[in-house]
Amino acid sequence: MRYEFRIDGEVVEVTLSKVDDIWSLSGNNASILPDGRIRLVSTDGSVFFAHSAKVGDTWWIHIGGHTFCIDHIEPGAAEEDEGSGLTAPMPGKVLQVLVEVGQRVEAGQPLMILEAMKMEHRIVASQEGSVSEIYFSEGDQVQQGVPLLELSIS
Amino acid sequence: MSTILVANRGEIACRILRACNEAGYSSIAIYADNDANSLFVELATTSVRLEGESIAETYLNQNQILKIADQYGADAIHPGFGFLSERADFAQAVIDAGISWIGPSSKAIEMMGDKMTARTTMKAAGVPVIPGEEIEEDDEHEALIAIKSASERVGFPLLLKASSGGGGKGMRVVNSSEELDDAVSGARREAIAAFGDGRVYVERLLSGAKHVEIQILADTHGRIIHLGERECSIQRRHQKVFEEAPCPTMTPDLREKMGQAAILAAQAVDYVGAGTVEFLLASSGEFFFLEMNTRIQVEHPVTEMVTGVDIVREQLRISEGEPMSCGELSIRGHSIEVRLYAEDASNNFLPAIGPLVVFKPPVGPGVRLDTGVREGDEVTPNYDPMLAKLVVWAPSRSEALQRMRRSLEDFVVLGTTTNLRFLRELCDQEDVINGSTDTTLIDRAWPYGWSPNISNSLSEAALMVAGISEGSGKHRKSNSSDASIDNGPISPFSTLSRRYP
Repeated sequence: MRYEFRIDGEVVEVTLSKVDDIWSLSGNNASILPDGRIRLVSTDGSVFFAHSAKVGDTWWIHIGGHTFCIDHIEPGAAEEDEGSGLTAPMPGKVLQVLVEVGQRVEAGQPLMILEAMKMEHRIVASQEGSVSEIYFSEGDQVQQGVPLLELSIS
Repeated sequence: MSTILVANRGEIACRILRACNEAGYSSIAIYADNDANSLFVELATTSVRLEGESIAETYLNQNQILKIADQYGADAIHPGFGFLSERADFAQAVIDAGISWIGPSSKAIEMMGDKMTARTTMKAAGVPVIPGEEIEEDDEHEALIAIKSASERVGFPLLLKASSGGGGKGMRVVNSSEELDDAVSGARREAIAAFGDGRVYVERLLSGAKHVEIQILADTHGRIIHLGERECSIQRRHQKVFEEAPCPTMTPDLREKMGQAAILAAQAVDYVGAGTVEFLLASSGEFFFLEMNTRIQVEHPVTEMVTGVDIVREQLRISEGEPMSCGELSIRGHSIEVRLYAEDASNNFLPAIGPLVVFKPPVGPGVRLDTGVREGDEVTPNYDPMLAKLVVWAPSRSEALQRMRRSLEDFVVLGTTTNLRFLRELCDQEDVINGSTDTTLIDRAWPYGWSPNISNSLSEAALMVAGISEGSGKHRKSNSSDASIDNGPISPFSTLSRRYP
C-alpha cells in the first residue's frame, strides 16, 4: 500500500506491506491493537505504542513522547504550490531519474525519486513545462536544498 | 455559608467547585454561552448562563454576577484567580450585598494592587524591597525630572515599572541615562493605555535572580502561617511555565526569614485568607518584596503536594470564620508543576486552537492533573490557552523530575498543538537538573527559539503509523465540524423501568 504524506513541508511516499495483521516498512513491524492504538516494533527491537487521530487531512500521531502532524495527500490531488519544489528536501541519494532533458511534463508528474531516512521522496513537477536541466544522475548523493532539475515553463 | 458562587471558569473553577462538593456546599457556576458545554459547568449544583458575549459583558460583569448571586441565594463568592479576583471594588460590592467574599478585605486588595502603595507599605513594615524610589508625580514633565534624579541614586541598569502594572505592561529596562527619556515616555504611554494610570517608578534591575514566593494563610482567629515557598523562575513571555516546591537552593534558615517577611507583609494589610508574597531572591541570598497576590494562585498545587494542606478547603473554612485546620507544617518531598498550553513553542509560543480529539493525561503514583478540559472539547481563541496544570510529587527533586519526564511523554494530546514536547525537553536542561533556575533560563537555553529534537527513526515510525492509520481505515476520523456522532445502539437500560422490591 502506497501513501503520500507531507511532513514538515516535504512530501514523503510511504509504501507499506501487510501480511495477515502485521504491517511492515523497512524493518519496522506494526499491528493495530483492539483499542485502536498501534503497536510498533522497530528494527532495533524497541516497542512503541502510538495514538493517531485524523482532523481534516491531517493525521496527528503521538509516538515515543513526540507529537507529529502529518498531512495525507489524496491520490490525484493537485500538488499545492510549494515554490518550484525541485530542490532536495533533505540530504539523500538519487534513486531514480524519471525524465530526460527536453521532455514535456504535466503538473504533478514525478521527475526524480530520492531516498532519505530509508524512505522514498518523489520530486514532482510543480507545473506543466519541459525539463531543461538535470543536475544529478542515479546513485548521486545530494545535499539538502540543492536544485535537482530545472523546468522551463511554456 | 451554604451556597457558594464561583465567579470564574475553566481549570480553577473546576478546582473550587470540586472543593465545594467535597465540603458539602451547594455551588453555582456562571458561564458565558461559549462555555455552555465546558467541564466546570457540569461540576456545579446549579449553573447559570451569563448574558452577553465579551468577557466584559460576562465574567467581568459585576452587576450581572451580583444579581445572579442574589437570585440564586448565594451566600459566598469565590473569585478564583484572574477576572474579578483582585478587584477591590467588586470585593466591596459583594460584602455590601451581605455575601461572604472568599478572599481578603477590599482594603488589602487595594493596598497590594497599587504597586507603589504596596512598596511604601512594605518599607514601613520592615519588609525588604528592591532598591529604588517611588515617584508619585503624575505630570509627564515633572515625572521625568523626578525619575532622572532618582536614577542617579539607584544606578543603571534599572527597571521602570507602572504603578498599576502587571503582566509586563508599562515595564522598561533602562541600561543607561541616554535611554531614559524614551523609556519613560514609552512606559507611561503603555501604562496609560493599559491601566489609565501613567505613574511609573524606578527599581534597580536584578538580573539572574530567582522568583521565589511564599504561600500564606491567615484566619480570623489571629493565626497567620506560611506554607513554605514555591520557585517559579522559569518563564516565557513573563508567564510562568514550570513551578516547584521547595526551591532547590532553599535553606531552612532562609525559608524562615522569607516566611517571616511574608507574614509581616500580610499583617501590614490585616490579611485574611490565602495569599502569596512574591520575592526576588538574589544569588547573594538577599531577597526583596516584589508584590503580593491577594488570591489563590495558579501554582498553589505544588504547595499542597509538599505540605498536605488543601488550600482551597482552608479558604472555605476561613470564610466560615472557623480556625484553619492545619497544624504544625513540614515540607515533605518535592513537587513540580508545568503548565500545558495550547501554543506552538517552536513558533515563539504562538497560541494555538483546535479540537482536543484525543486528550489522555498521564496516570500513576504522585501524578495530579488540574484541568478544565476533556477529550472532545474545542480550544478556542476566547480565553487563556492554558489547558491544564500537570503536577507531580516524589520523595526527592531528581525523582520528581524523572516522574515529570515520564508523565509528559505519556501525555497524549491530538488535534491541537501544545507545548508538551517543549516542557519535556525543558526537564533535560542542565540548569533545570541542577536547580540553577532563574528568570532568564528559557532565553539562555534557546536564544534562537526552540525546536524539537526528533530522531530520523522516530519520524519514520510516525510516518509508518500515519500510513497504517490511513490504510486501515479503522481509526477514528474526527473532524471538529463533523456533527454526525455515532451514539451506538440505544442502551437497553434506558427503556427498562423494572422495579425490584
